[in-house]
Amino acid sequence: MWRKSASSLLALALAVAGGLAAQAPRDSALSQAVRERTGNSLGRLAVPEAAGRSTAAVTARDDAALVQAIEHQIRCTCGCNLDVFTCRTTDFTCTTSPAMHQLVLARLDSGMSEAQVLASFQKQYGEMIFMAPPKRGFNWMAYVMPYVGLAVGLGLVTALARRLIHARAAGAAASEAPAGTAAAGGASPEELEKLKRELERFEA
Amino acid sequence: MTDIGNIALWITLLLSAWTVVVGFVGGRTRRPELARSAERSIFVMWGLLVIASVALMRALLTHDFNVEYVAAYSSRNLPVFYTWSAFYAGQKGSLLLWALVVSTFGSVALLVNRGKYRDLTPYVAATLAIVVLFFTATMVFASNPFERLAFTPPDGRGLNPQLQNPGMVFHPPMLYLGYTSISVPFSFAVAALISGRLDTGWLHAIRRWTLASWLFLSCGIVLGMWWAYVELGWGGYWAWDPVENASFLPWLTMTAFLHSVMIQEKRGMLKKWNIGLVVGSFLLSVFGTFLTRSGVISSVHSFAQSNVGWFFLVFLVLAAVLGFGLLAWRWPMLQAEAKLESMVSREGAFLFNNLILLVIAFSVFWGTLFPVISEAVRGTKVTVGPPFFNQVNVPLGLMLLVLTGIGPLIAWRKASPENLKRQFLWPTTAMLVTAVSLAAVRMTNAWSIVAYALGAFVVGTVVQEFVRGTLARHHLHGEIYPLAFVRLVGRNRRRYGGYVVHLGIVMLFAAFAGLAFKSEREVTLKPGQSVDVKDPYGDTFHITHQGVSQYEQLNRFVTAASVDVLRNGKYVGTMKSEKRQHLDSLGRPTFEPSTEVAIWSTAREDLYIVFAGAVKGTEEAVYKIVINPLVWWVWYGGLVLALGGIITMWPGAQGGPTAASRRRAEPAGYVAQVGV
Repeated sequence: MWRKSASSLLALALAVAGGLAAQAPRDSALSQAVRERTGNSLGRLAVPEAAGRSTAAVTARDDAALVQAIEHQIRCTCGCNLDVFTCRTTDFTCTTSPAMHQLVLARLDSGMSEAQVLASFQKQYGEMIFMAPPKRGFNWMAYVMPYVGLAVGLGLVTALARRLIHARAAGAAASEAPAGTAAAGGASPEELEKLKRELERFEA
Repeated sequence: MTDIGNIALWITLLLSAWTVVVGFVGGRTRRPELARSAERSIFVMWGLLVIASVALMRALLTHDFNVEYVAAYSSRNLPVFYTWSAFYAGQKGSLLLWALVVSTFGSVALLVNRGKYRDLTPYVAATLAIVVLFFTATMVFASNPFERLAFTPPDGRGLNPQLQNPGMVFHPPMLYLGYTSISVPFSFAVAALISGRLDTGWLHAIRRWTLASWLFLSCGIVLGMWWAYVELGWGGYWAWDPVENASFLPWLTMTAFLHSVMIQEKRGMLKKWNIGLVVGSFLLSVFGTFLTRSGVISSVHSFAQSNVGWFFLVFLVLAAVLGFGLLAWRWPMLQAEAKLESMVSREGAFLFNNLILLVIAFSVFWGTLFPVISEAVRGTKVTVGPPFFNQVNVPLGLMLLVLTGIGPLIAWRKASPENLKRQFLWPTTAMLVTAVSLAAVRMTNAWSIVAYALGAFVVGTVVQEFVRGTLARHHLHGEIYPLAFVRLVGRNRRRYGGYVVHLGIVMLFAAFAGLAFKSEREVTLKPGQSVDVKDPYGDTFHITHQGVSQYEQLNRFVTAASVDVLRNGKYVGTMKSEKRQHLDSLGRPTFEPSTEVAIWSTAREDLYIVFAGAVKGTEEAVYKIVINPLVWWVWYGGLVLALGGIITMWPGAQGGPTAASRRRAEPAGYVAQVGV
């Protein structure tokens, strides 16, 4: 890792040193380009490359609800973790999502339904192409386990509560048996309990 | 200076190892001189880590590009404001920051508890030293921020443009503060387990720390959402990215702890559970860093990946063995002092609240790791993205919202039918009126209706509590209403601060429910052309493209696209979205162009416009236009939540432990030590 970062920094240093030798600019090359190209035909950007990847005009079809619905379900494979629609309208350096968008359009043009388009992407890329695991086979584990956890937790809490409540009821019954027996300090268990309750209420 | 920083790291490493030994030995053998040595070593470590941090900061400010870290994350034309971000932009700097913050919190914890909890402090110092030892060892042996290059480049690579945003100046440090401050409660939990002092005394020592951790995490998460929203340009603020999830997990367990600890303080119950939650929260904070650094799971935070992730995994396993091993050892000593009287009680509501929080944490954890599990079991990779998390967590979140409302309405120990009727009447009315009203205005999304109705229920609960409390003070003490309100909150900060937090949570839920009505579209406009966009309230935005301009600004070349916006024919303003090509000090492009979003924000909705690009190098622009209802409520909900947290942890006698809690600390001899 050290060697790798050192070599990349060496490359950076060489490039920077080369740049130093070539010029000592006050403005950036991009700003110079703006000045040089002033007077170009109206509507053209002086430095198009600074505006990111050149893009084509968006048509109504690109933005259609069906296209959005499909593209929100499939993942861009560039590694961004976003769905295709979000990636192609967000990460303007990505070339993968626009290509996948064109695939979606082409497949819809060929007469495929939404389900068929999605199936074709799965055939091409595997299950990881979907933004959520398809609900079948082992993938059900993903969806079911949180609720299994909830059911188990509910069961445990209820069982624990019942046990505690029963234990308390049994304890209360046992303490009633030697009725009239004064507890330590001269107070009966009932009196102690009442005192405790009063204290709790006062504190609350 | 960097050499001094490097030496300081080495001394910290040796000193932390010393502290671990003398702390545990001193605590075990009850030798006060060893215990004092351990405590003092924490202060010295803090001083050494401050020296190391100053050394790194100085290297960044003086552009010492011979230091590999400085060359990799800064440049001569990086604004000074973002030099601070460069400190933790990379892994090496963030490790140093983490170690510094742990030692700072450790020093403060030992300072404010000086002379108290003498049985615990040697173990606390030793446990904190283990954490510092781990971080300094990782730095010294694998990821040294003072590592030098064999040559000195004339300029550095610069800071990732996405990190050159005010949100990034505050969001990562806040999360670090949240993660690291959990080390203090963890250290006290370990100390209590080792020493056997397992009454509520140790809880008093960590009460404000747990609140502080929770507050820092909350602020860090909301700031991260804000950064993602304004900087990444995808129109949302939470993507269920693994690293986002990793910050959410300890927040959930800390929230559970802040509720269940009340049961322990009041009734002496749930002792095992509470220690388990503290240990679990610490482990989840380390797990978050492991996810960020290891690259085990694909994440948008990939700029932070490295090979030290496996160091974190080993540390995680060791910390889990230590924490849960000690818990198992002391299990018999952690018996409840009271029994549950009824499930229809505050304790019962808190139990269910804890259960739901833990199930949400489990579902997030499970979903985050499911790609790895699927690959291990089936050999098939799957993606677990927002559709999965939303589907699984929305019902759980709504259950939590129900319990947020129910909890404060039910009495401790056992609620009577009269009590329930009296308490539930107005909140339930508010809930039903809201549901019927939303159905009457033809709101179509059932989940959203349920969320708003339950939100109204919680607000009804909180308002009822404030109104009744204020009226009671007015009648009892004859105070005027505003004074009665202020004193009510001031004298029961923990309780009413908690209610303010609940209001913040409702605001957040309201914002999340608004996502159901989000709409987005792409349009291409030539200068002078317009597009009409309808919002969910039926209003129309008339958006006219004005043109694209290019100019140089600070360390970047800007391409700005402007639109004029009218709502229902009324001028709203001119909005400008930018593409920024960052430049090095020689004026040459660095990094890919980044996007700056234009946002017009109101309490009702945000108009979110992204300049997606120029068509074939002309002023014809492609825009992504998003209508985001109720996003404002996320930011202000976060503020209200933070305000509630601050009220709750505000210093003073009224914010301290309850009388019941103090009484529970008595048997172990902590009574003279309380009153922090």
